[in-house]
Amino acid sequence: MGEAIVITSGKGGVGKTTTSANLGTALALQGKKVCLVDTDIGLRNLDVILGLENRIIYDLVDVIAGRCKIHQALVKDKRFEDGLYLLPAAQTTDKNAVEPEQMKELITELKRDYDYILIDCPAGIEQGYKNAVAGADRAIVVTTPEISAVRDADRIIGLLEQEDIEPPKLIINRIKSRLVNSGDALDVNEITTHLSIDLLGIVLDDEKVISSSNKGEPVVMDPSNPAAIGYRNIARRILGESVPLMSLDEGKPGFFGKLKTLFAK
Amino acid sequence: MTKQHYVTIKGTKDGLVLRLDDKCAYSDMIAELRNKVSENSLEGLAEVKVHTGNRFCNEEELKEIMNVVHESPHLRVSKIQSEVITIEECNRKVLEKQSETYIGIVRSGQVVKADGDLVVIGDVNPNGRVVAAGSIYILGRLKGIAHAGATGNEEAVIAASWLEATHLMIADKLETMTDELTILSEQPEMECAYIHPNGFIAIDRLQELRILRPNLSTFKGGS
Repeated sequence: MGEAIVITSGKGGVGKTTTSANLGTALALQGKKVCLVDTDIGLRNLDVILGLENRIIYDLVDVIAGRCKIHQALVKDKRFEDGLYLLPAAQTTDKNAVEPEQMKELITELKRDYDYILIDCPAGIEQGYKNAVAGADRAIVVTTPEISAVRDADRIIGLLEQEDIEPPKLIINRIKSRLVNSGDALDVNEITTHLSIDLLGIVLDDEKVISSSNKGEPVVMDPSNPAAIGYRNIARRILGESVPLMSLDEGKPGFFGKLKTLFAK
Repeated sequence: MTKQHYVTIKGTKDGLVLRLDDKCAYSDMIAELRNKVSENSLEGLAEVKVHTGNRFCNEEELKEIMNVVHESPHLRVSKIQSEVITIEECNRKVLEKQSETYIGIVRSGQVVKADGDLVVIGDVNPNGRVVAAGSIYILGRLKGIAHAGATGNEEAVIAASWLEATHLMIADKLETMTDELTILSEQPEMECAYIHPNGFIAIDRLQELRILRPNLSTFKGGS
């Protein structure tokens, strides 16, 4: 029996879909059988980021309406033997085409065959959000170090706490270490004390995230990329490993660096 | 023939007490009361307490009793006491007196309401709102909106371990916590907000609360 995790944020554009794609891929790299479910009906793009757009035949709404079987709608990622599947959202209908009860049934069915089901939630707190959360066992809230994103995260955590699921965990995405170190952006500590939920991990801002998404290959495939390391660490924490939080001090001289500059005088 | 007295006047150490029988008919009691107060055995002006015992008197009846006593030039009613109140009034008093406790964080968009006092164990985040008919006590950071004395109680206060609210409301007074506001102190730790005699909301150290609002303390006994 697998576990369903919803990835949500309240605010749009903080990186829910990118996070879903990368965490799904990272979990598949760890040898888990993963199914990604895009619930952003009408504005789907998880398929684009994974590079699976061309292979979609049926979608979520087709499954719910009974026009096809689940396995017919699932799109397999060829990069993995049997590790990563996507259930794409419909593009032509809207979010009201699906009811939370139907989503719950669908996710329960998927949990039989997969280790992890990652549900990519649409922005907002309306019908789409309710559908996405309906079948989830756990929730991950994505935010960025911006006050507006943190406010919306606070709202969504409040809503999640009323659901019958485990306390949500936090991912702080798109951290610019230069801005944090200069004190111009909210730091990790400030955000976690304000929201007072457990931190699952942080992801550094990196240009490669955008360029690789455009190519349809999640950045997490590149093991040396700093953002990819963040996603891989989060995936390992989801699997129950304890991984220390990465430091933001890259580029700043370390202890030995400081010693060197001291002796150089 | 010995007649049962429906009305008795007694002198106690707290002054005169006018005890009204609660078993007889209301009209008999009023008639005897009228007789009693018109007796010319009194001198000067005395204050009396009226005890109605276990008889429930409504507003009009209480007014009538007062008027009858005041027919005598020597008596003034200082207080009317009764052993009974209506269930409705009792329930209302219980609600007003009780303190409700909320454990958790009041997050953006959430509203926590109480009919009496409200104790929040946790933070109130920006855009979170706490409303109480009585006072609000927060063991945590108040960073959102608080409304104490929502039904009009101007004596209500808002106390917090960390008072950094965006909006403070007490009864019908509202204060937005903008930068130009001088009542905002540098150190928001352990503070309380109350309505100052000048009619505006003021913020002071929590230690001042027992002087500002001595009646809020319900603690009896101890040493």
